[in-house]
Amino acid sequence: MIFHMITGRTVKQGEGVEKKLSADYKKETSACRMNPLDMMDLGLNEGNHIKIISDYGEVVMTAVEDKTLTAGMIFIAYGPYCNVITSHDTHGTGMPDYKSTPVRIEETDEDLKTVEELFRGMGGTSL
Amino acid sequence: MKITDVICPFCGCLCDDLTVTIENNRVTGVDNGCALAEAKFMHTGRLNNPIIKDGDRFRETGYDDAIGAAADILKDSERPLLFGWSGTQGEAQCSGVHLCELLGGVIDNTSSICHGPSILAIQEVGHPGCTLGQVKNRADLIIYWGCNPVEGHPRHMSRYTNYADGFFLENAFRERKLIVADVRKTESANLADEFIQIKPGGDYAVFSALRAIIRGKGDILPDYVAGVAKSQLERVAKMCLEAKFGAIFFGLGLTMTKNKYKNIRNAIELTDLLCRHTKFTITPMRGHWNVYGSNEVMTWLTGYPYGVDFSRGIAFYNPGETTAIDILAKKECDAMFVVASDPAAHMPKKCAEHMAEIPVIQIDPHINCTTLLSDVQLPVAVTGIETPGTAYRMDGIPLRTKKVIETVYPNDTEIIDKIYKKVLEVQKK
Amino acid sequence: MSELLVKNAFVIDPLNNINGEIMDIAVKDGKIVESVKDTSNTIDAKGNLTLPGGVDSHTHICGTKVNFGRYMSPEDMRAGRGRAQKYMYPVSGYSVPTVYANTYRYSSLGYTTVLEGAMAPLEARHTHEEFSYNTLQDTMANTLFDGNWAVMEAVAENDLKKVAAIVGWTLAAVKGFAVKITNPGGTEMWGWGKDVGCMHTKVDHFGVTAAEITDYLIRANELLNLPHSAHLHNNNLGKPGNYKCTLERMQRTPDLNDKRQTLYMTHVQFHSYGGSKWADFCSKADDVAWMINRKPQIAIDMGQVMFGKTTTMTADGPMEFNLYRLYNNKWSNHDVELETGSGIIPVLYSKKNLVNSIMWSIGLELALMTKNPWQCMLATDNPNGAPFVKYPEVIALLMSSKYRDEEFSTLQKDTEKRVILPSLDREMDWNEIAIMTRAAQAKALGIVDLGKGHLGVGADADIAIYPVKTGDIDPTQEYEKVIEGLSVTTHTIKRGRTVSKDGNCLVFGDNATIWVKPKISENYDISKDPEFIKRFERYYTVNMANYPVEEEYINRNICIETETEL
Repeated sequence: MIFHMITGRTVKQGEGVEKKLSADYKKETSACRMNPLDMMDLGLNEGNHIKIISDYGEVVMTAVEDKTLTAGMIFIAYGPYCNVITSHDTHGTGMPDYKSTPVRIEETDEDLKTVEELFRGMGGTSL
Repeated sequence: MKITDVICPFCGCLCDDLTVTIENNRVTGVDNGCALAEAKFMHTGRLNNPIIKDGDRFRETGYDDAIGAAADILKDSERPLLFGWSGTQGEAQCSGVHLCELLGGVIDNTSSICHGPSILAIQEVGHPGCTLGQVKNRADLIIYWGCNPVEGHPRHMSRYTNYADGFFLENAFRERKLIVADVRKTESANLADEFIQIKPGGDYAVFSALRAIIRGKGDILPDYVAGVAKSQLERVAKMCLEAKFGAIFFGLGLTMTKNKYKNIRNAIELTDLLCRHTKFTITPMRGHWNVYGSNEVMTWLTGYPYGVDFSRGIAFYNPGETTAIDILAKKECDAMFVVASDPAAHMPKKCAEHMAEIPVIQIDPHINCTTLLSDVQLPVAVTGIETPGTAYRMDGIPLRTKKVIETVYPNDTEIIDKIYKKVLEVQKK
Repeated sequence: MSELLVKNAFVIDPLNNINGEIMDIAVKDGKIVESVKDTSNTIDAKGNLTLPGGVDSHTHICGTKVNFGRYMSPEDMRAGRGRAQKYMYPVSGYSVPTVYANTYRYSSLGYTTVLEGAMAPLEARHTHEEFSYNTLQDTMANTLFDGNWAVMEAVAENDLKKVAAIVGWTLAAVKGFAVKITNPGGTEMWGWGKDVGCMHTKVDHFGVTAAEITDYLIRANELLNLPHSAHLHNNNLGKPGNYKCTLERMQRTPDLNDKRQTLYMTHVQFHSYGGSKWADFCSKADDVAWMINRKPQIAIDMGQVMFGKTTTMTADGPMEFNLYRLYNNKWSNHDVELETGSGIIPVLYSKKNLVNSIMWSIGLELALMTKNPWQCMLATDNPNGAPFVKYPEVIALLMSSKYRDEEFSTLQKDTEKRVILPSLDREMDWNEIAIMTRAAQAKALGIVDLGKGHLGVGADADIAIYPVKTGDIDPTQEYEKVIEGLSVTTHTIKRGRTVSKDGNCLVFGDNATIWVKPKISENYDISKDPEFIKRFERYYTVNMANYPVEEEYINRNICIETETEL
């Protein structure tokens, strides 16, 4: 099943903008909010790890229930996690498809990376 | 000690009624601010000293050394990208434009990944807007489209719209109606008199449908448009026409979804149409407290609000080509200068990967994701808390943010000016 | 290098009754002096026409709505692009140039002082920020009061001193220079999508009329003893038949000041229309000029329209909306809470369009039929009528009936039935042009005593030398030479320093902002008035403490303190 990924602001994400290496920020921006029925279909419980896969990459996040979402829609707070799977193609507008990326979701045993690990994987420096 | 009339440097609301409590040169309390304001004012963690990348670690250093390193990177760069700008004072934005012009580089601000598409739409059809006080005093119909003020602009509704006092409204809260349009039922949607749930990517069709109904051509519409019932659209159109003053606020739900700037163009054209019947305005919900400032500064200096390329010796503007995401994704820039934003966290991975390959200079008080990809970072005073400076609110009102505590850190403008001078020096050699 | 000698200047200095004399001008420390000892720094003007630096009394160059005009028009930015030079940053913009572009181009034209036509007090900070980059001309701002709630409530109470107290406090707080009134009452009605008609419609809720608002502001201005008079963009701009509004306004205006006009009416071309609809639209410039000729208390500027593309931008929100309905092009609007409004539309003035052809004729008719050039200043309401770079063409038209005839013959063929321009054979001379482009403005703005608009001893050494030998040109015939000669100075001198030479700017510049601070007694300090304070607490969205423009925004500045009757 293909899900429609929306990314956006949340208060907790906003509170964390100056503490991006903190556990709270990691928690908020690596939480994949899903419609409870979709979670049931995929056999997921709250807190399970999932791998989200797009045409551009894959990333491990945590599944979190959100009744406001309709089936087929997932919501993730802005941050480095959702950007692993967001395309850089702006279709000539300068703006990527932050709110319109199609993704697949699989259950996984893998651990979530920390923010530092995400960037180290790209060639970043550790602090 | 309490300081009143403090301006909050977080979101585009630029609330100027905060009272902060200062004890021992630290902010220990914030009155009237939202959770985001409290987090901003009371956060004390920061990068203490400039750092330079040394192998696979960072080493601390002094400002002169860091400024020298930054100037060396910039002087050797053929196509530097100067990005960010929304979280700093206007004075620094001006310095940044001059630095970019000296380098013949590209300067872009966070609009390109936020309301850039809104600006593109405005450049096609104009912007019928107003200051927020017009809405507060007159509006009896508020529409939030593709935004969630409860989370993104927490005090917007109490300062400017539904919960605010209004000069012309006896009982403002009761007299005002609220419409929220979104793809999901957000907290803001829960407060609405009319919640329009639209299928993702369907906003353009819904705007067109509303325009058709208002122009008396509703017959051509099917029963459902992008998941919205025609009957609801007719109700909404009626509410709009019967309003004495309608104010539309929109956010990234329109700029970031399918059709991007065309969504906003359609929303503006809907507003224009409604202006022929009653009074309507439309306002983008700017995210950062001074992103509009970066548009204003760049415009009065270069002619264009973002994405300006100086490599030809003129100011050249072509979003999609001269904007940060595209330049990074195409690996066009060979150095990056980041001020007051965190592109590594907020840009698609391919862009961050290129940032890891090129030298990156960051000017920011805090450790963030971009720090992990930087070669040099210079910490600065926090504008609006430790150093004053001009900011432009989401409706264009300019305010002067204050300094409420003392600091040893230089501000962005001082650092950028020093780097400018240093670049001139090393260029001569 | 504080001494300068300009030799062999062919000076026309109307304020000092010098009408074409070869003389030397001595400058020391930025001022004109009797003589200098050190003649090592000399400019040989070679008998070229030398005038005081130009003063533009109404131009839109800095502030919220101007910047709106820029960023919504990237096509206009591209059309006016230019590369950086040694002391010149890259420029953009044809009809709404960037601040750098404006200051360089004005300097090339020989202008050294400009007045920004409209600034909303709430957004004054923005205007001052842009002013600080307009480094080659001294700047000042018309401050908008047309839709000001505090003013309207005081007018409703018939309290003239209160109106003056509000205006005085506000001007000082936002570092404004003069009282600007744009479509009084109309900008407030536009908050509801409405307008006022002519001057006697009551504004909803506030219950005052446009006539009353203007009457009170004119008198309040005099109570405050401000250098400039009230500055009015009248109601009904652009509407067929609006000349009656203009005449009535002039009729209503008393003569309260012996040094200058009591009311400055701006871009009167747009307010001199006869007929009742577009079909019978015609010029009533003759009636308007007839009235001006009888009223020394009135001064106007032309608001000349020139053909081609430009951008209209004014505080007159409802007018701009109506223009949008005509053009169906992009439209921006920006109402400012408790104060005023604005609108912006790009337009094209075409010779093939009868209305546009009539408009072009009217501006010239006004200038030619106003007997006293001190009462009719040259302006295009930049950029509403045309970009200011077209001033030399306007001058050439005023000086040459032959040029006018040639242009007229290319206009829409029915124009001659609606205007009387072809019958006017007056040709302005150099002295009259000097009056209409600097001396009259300096007098109207009340800045002659500051040293502007003239070259007498004690004046600011703001001097413009044009590559024109008046003896060698017949301006009535050789209009192309007039245009060429007045388009680029050989030297524009600002405070004794050459800032522009043959179109190249030589320094980064250091302008001053001129503002007023009326001295008001404690009894009339409106900032202590509970109603005034309440308005900020409840209805503005900016706190009163954050409203005044801080000192940091005005750099070099000249503050004119006035003795008031408060």
